[in-house]
Amino acid sequence: MRSPLFSRRRSLRAGAAIAAATLCGSLLAACGGDQDDVPGADGKPVTLTFWGWAKGTQEVVADFNASHPDIRVTFEEIPSGNAGGYAKITNAVKAGNAPDVFNIEYPQLPDFVSQGAVQDISSLVDDSLKGKYLPQAAELTALGGRTWALPLDVAPQTFFYRKDLFRKAGITVPRTWDEFRDAAKKLKTAQPKTRIATFFPDDPTTFEAMAWQNGARWFTAEDDAWKVNLKGPETGKAADYWQKMVDDDLVQVQPSFSQQWTASLQKGETAGYLGASWGAGVLKANLGSAPGMDGNWAVAPMPTWDGQPASGMLGGTTFAVSKDSKKARAAVEFATWATTTPEGMKARIDSGTSSSYPAATALLPVAKKAFDTKFYGGQDIYGLYAEAAESIKPGWTWGPVMGVTNGSLKDSFGKVAGKTGTIQDALTTAQQATLDEFKNRGLKVAP
Amino acid sequence: MTTRTARSATSRAASSRRRGRYGAPAVLLAPFLLLFTACTLVPVGYAIHLSLYTEQRGGLGFGGTETLFTGWGNYARALKDDAFLEGFANIALYCLMYIPLMIALALALALLLDSALARAKRFFQLALFIPHAVPGIIAALIWMYLYTPGISPVLDLLETAGTRPDLLGNPLPAVVNMALWQWTGYNVVIFYAALQAIPREVLEAAVVDGAGPVRTAISIKMPLIRASLAMVGLFTVIGSLQLFTEPMILHGTAPAVTSAWTPNMYAYTAAFERSDYGLAAASSVLLAAAAALLSFAVTRLARPRPESRKERAA
Repeated sequence: MRSPLFSRRRSLRAGAAIAAATLCGSLLAACGGDQDDVPGADGKPVTLTFWGWAKGTQEVVADFNASHPDIRVTFEEIPSGNAGGYAKITNAVKAGNAPDVFNIEYPQLPDFVSQGAVQDISSLVDDSLKGKYLPQAAELTALGGRTWALPLDVAPQTFFYRKDLFRKAGITVPRTWDEFRDAAKKLKTAQPKTRIATFFPDDPTTFEAMAWQNGARWFTAEDDAWKVNLKGPETGKAADYWQKMVDDDLVQVQPSFSQQWTASLQKGETAGYLGASWGAGVLKANLGSAPGMDGNWAVAPMPTWDGQPASGMLGGTTFAVSKDSKKARAAVEFATWATTTPEGMKARIDSGTSSSYPAATALLPVAKKAFDTKFYGGQDIYGLYAEAAESIKPGWTWGPVMGVTNGSLKDSFGKVAGKTGTIQDALTTAQQATLDEFKNRGLKVAP
Repeated sequence: MTTRTARSATSRAASSRRRGRYGAPAVLLAPFLLLFTACTLVPVGYAIHLSLYTEQRGGLGFGGTETLFTGWGNYARALKDDAFLEGFANIALYCLMYIPLMIALALALALLLDSALARAKRFFQLALFIPHAVPGIIAALIWMYLYTPGISPVLDLLETAGTRPDLLGNPLPAVVNMALWQWTGYNVVIFYAALQAIPREVLEAAVVDGAGPVRTAISIKMPLIRASLAMVGLFTVIGSLQLFTEPMILHGTAPAVTSAWTPNMYAYTAAFERSDYGLAAASSVLLAAAAALLSFAVTRLARPRPESRKERAA
């Protein structure tokens, strides 16, 4: 592994130097009033490279290219962020051969900005464009007073469940976490092998959304220093709750989106999924062909602590322009089209696999019309999403070293699965790892 | 000895001939040296260079980065990081479990193949070697499938029999099993070749002296293939330090395999998940140094002592 890795590193260096040189050159050229990304300036379309993995992207790019003769987007599908996509993007940025536009989820955006991988697009995004997005989404793409990305979707938490299994066990849809626990017990009594949902030991973001839903704020930027608080009472409450669910064997403990998870859903050993809006498409794609699934699933709002609607956000994708791209204007045009126009949204949802909830809320009717809800028995799932999206708690910020924070949590959550550690331990370790990384990177921490 | 005399003879030869003498080796060595420099020396040099720098951000972190010289800073951080040291501990445990098992198994199989009683030798040689021909990643994926409850037919069978082994929760035996499956057959072939090279008259003498097959195997054959045993041991230790593919594949499904389960995974995570290239380079250099030290120690230990050689001569 070592030699190819480091020889690549070496060429990265050279690449970066070349990129820097060309950047200087282009700045000079820009003074002469001759930008690379003015479409059709030399009669040829601007070519944009774009990396992403969100469902339905291929269709969006095809429709964009068909309707925009002056911009030609070349799409390359990469593995989803945590499955290697982010590593690929980081490396490409370091090597100076990054795509012009790439997808990045809200949690990773500050980390990427902080690494200098993302271009500041404030000057290309006016207030009328910003106003089209749900405020909670716009808030997450503005860091340090600048705009760094355009939000594609918001991902309010939702609870997917098997209607038939719930009916058989005689349980109604839980509205609070207490009811959820009772439902889990009843379900287990009725069907000893079946659990109500899954604790994902490999995916801290699901737990983070639970903390967010309860009003926790892990990261707060105060003046020019960060406050890091993974150990607040709101997070603690969620941690204790889930610890007890795992200890009492009321939830499955399986990696997210693993074959194990899919198999257990197909066998009816898992009767629910605590996910987010985009999960409707994922479930449909994973289970649609399995017998006895079609029409038996339904979507419910996330249970809450007090019965009042509240939601965190689980994932959610944005479009960012890479640091060295000289085609930012065309890139933003493409991203704007993909995120705010009915055509862009329709192309994505029409692909049949995406159930994203548009960050540009005016597109809600388009998305609703395009997503086939037969799998969910024709339920109005977008109506439910709309309420859930409104209930997303504002004020949550992702930290600038989420790679380290999540990496640490993930490793310790493995111990939760192996019963050799607790969620509270994991949070203590992650808090320390995060602060260490802040120090290592020279980031300021509020006293 | 004879080559050495020949070489000193050439050094005394006329200088015009000397160029011709060195020209051929230079031409023959050039491709190796070129590739070695480009693919090993330069990357290692660059890794050392990288390991001395760190990337700093400052403030909230949204104002760009700068690269600073940090000297031994990254090395100190790696050595102070429990996760990195735990990786070495995992490797040590892995070696303790894997190497004796693998060598014993491979040796036993090779001795059986070599014994006069064995039938269909060629078939068994090939059959034992086949697992090694399967690429490591593919083998790891197949094993992962077999380890995963809910989809593994083997585990389903065991569950109907009443046991529910948690293979993914105990990664060490799981990884050792994969390595055994992949490498035992390969080493059987090495041992078997060494056994075939033992002079037949020695074995005949043992039989004449009244040694049975077991006695011959233990007292005659095993000491005579000592060099092969040492070589296999050395390669296995070095290979174990580099352990990466199997645990990395398991990492996706088995939460017990942490992101820094082996030192190589630590370097990978540092580079590709934490974007800390300095730390990744420093930990890789430390790993390489550990491998070099270890191979030096193993070669020294495995070398027969001069006294014992004298005894044998007598």
